[in-house]
Amino acid sequence: MNKKQQFEDLANNRNSLAGNLFSPILMHFAARHSGKTYAEFASNYKILVEANIRAMEDFDMDMVSLISDPYRETAAFGAKIEFPAEAVPKCMNKVIGSPDDIRSLAVPDVYRNERTLDRIRGAEEYSRILKGEVPVIGWIEGPLAEACDLAGVSEMLMMLMMDPGSSNLLLDKCTEMAKSFALAQVRAGCDIIGMGDAVCSQVDPDTYGSFVKDRQREIISFVHGLGARVKLHICGDITHLLPQIRETGADIVDIDWQVSPKKAAAALGHETILCGNINPVLIQDKTEEDVYGLTGKFIQEHKDIKLIVSAGCEITVNTPAANLKAMSGAVRDQW
Amino acid sequence: MKHNEILEKIAYCIEYGKIDRNSPFPPNLKGQDGAGEYTQMALEKGIRADDVLRMGLMQGMDRVGKKFRENKIFVPQVLMSAKAMNSSMEHLMPFFTSGEIRSKGKFIIGTVLGDLHDIGKNLVSMILKGNGWEVIDLGIDVSSEKFLDALKEHPDSVVGLSALLTTTMANMKETVEKIKDQNSETCVAIGGAPVTREFCDRIGADIYSPDPQGLVDYLNQRYNAG
Repeated sequence: MNKKQQFEDLANNRNSLAGNLFSPILMHFAARHSGKTYAEFASNYKILVEANIRAMEDFDMDMVSLISDPYRETAAFGAKIEFPAEAVPKCMNKVIGSPDDIRSLAVPDVYRNERTLDRIRGAEEYSRILKGEVPVIGWIEGPLAEACDLAGVSEMLMMLMMDPGSSNLLLDKCTEMAKSFALAQVRAGCDIIGMGDAVCSQVDPDTYGSFVKDRQREIISFVHGLGARVKLHICGDITHLLPQIRETGADIVDIDWQVSPKKAAAALGHETILCGNINPVLIQDKTEEDVYGLTGKFIQEHKDIKLIVSAGCEITVNTPAANLKAMSGAVRDQW
Repeated sequence: MKHNEILEKIAYCIEYGKIDRNSPFPPNLKGQDGAGEYTQMALEKGIRADDVLRMGLMQGMDRVGKKFRENKIFVPQVLMSAKAMNSSMEHLMPFFTSGEIRSKGKFIIGTVLGDLHDIGKNLVSMILKGNGWEVIDLGIDVSSEKFLDALKEHPDSVVGLSALLTTTMANMKETVEKIKDQNSETCVAIGGAPVTREFCDRIGADIYSPDPQGLVDYLNQRYNAG
């Protein structure tokens, strides 16, 4: 049984699986593990794909991903992005500074921008190399995250309060962009679309319900229509949003380390796959033995949950490779 | 309107993020006066600027900090409250300049080197300002040297370091060590999503709080400035 069949069995509640899948979020770590800089990883799909496949093989992971940084779509919308060698790419300008900017903002063609095209090419490269045997996770920015990337976090969050009309218009354009980018990645071979809407944990349930939830649901429904699944990633504590997140229809929900998996499973329903949620600081700082132990304990404590074992968020660049191997080993030893 | 009613109006407007008459937020106060107008009214009625600060602005921001800690409000609402507070503060600035109002102390704040996130830093800055602290904001991606330079310029300040990325916590450690090497008496506060109490103790910082109000409470107690 290949990795894609294993994932499908997990998703479809078939009983062939006797354990959990392992799929941590890797970006800077994967780049360094393969001897490349973060800048190379984020700007060259061949390097990103090669780094992720190497990490998958070295750490016995069950999926690969196209995640790199938040600014693919932002670049396509017109922002200038710089690539420091060993840091997250920087967005150098805000595309949105006024309601007029929102009105005149055009949703770009994802095939005509270098950064969005690079990710699409990455999906094609995975398909070519992995021949459909490993689940490939594409990546898009969720509507609120993209709006914040374009306008600035504080500015966008205040716009939600002060100018709902302009906010809705911008969020609609971000939603359209998300669908367009998801479509291109599914066509290029992605089985799952990861949707990062990191900032949502910082808004209250009413604001999430009024501005974000229905747009996330629209994107997820659209991706389902393409025959792919969706993994929703929101950084931080989303406990207050869980009942509404259930309504989005996400197939996989990433939960950060602040969220109780049991509470999340109860709120999201046991059909939803949870992905998480060991604190990445512990994985970075503890000993190999400790990481093995805490991963095993985590799995034992959540045996009744449909789970993909991961850290609560990205594996840090400074995490010792031995610790990630220990995490992976603990997952396999539970089979 | 009685003096205490005006002061309560200021606190209420800040608590609910009502900036001024033209602000459409919150919808149920549309068209009504906001923090700016009530602050102006308070000063025109002869209320001492220091009382306006302590019984109006600080009362309002104290409620905001507590509601944020209890997850009754979230970041958008805190940002609106901070905007309302700034609207009041504009009327009070001449009194700070003249010395009629004294701040509780100086607080140097920045997001550490390599980290470009500013939302947590900004929230802490706003809530500290609203609680009577003078905030010197060094921005994002701030090197240890820049923190040390700011401390030389403002030697009795408290220093606050923010980090959102696990990867930049190492830079937080380095900055704390350099600050403590220069002056072990300097109070250093740290915060941010990946930061924990254990990490705070390990790197020798003085205070970690998961929310801005915890920092305010600590500073008020440490400096007897409540």
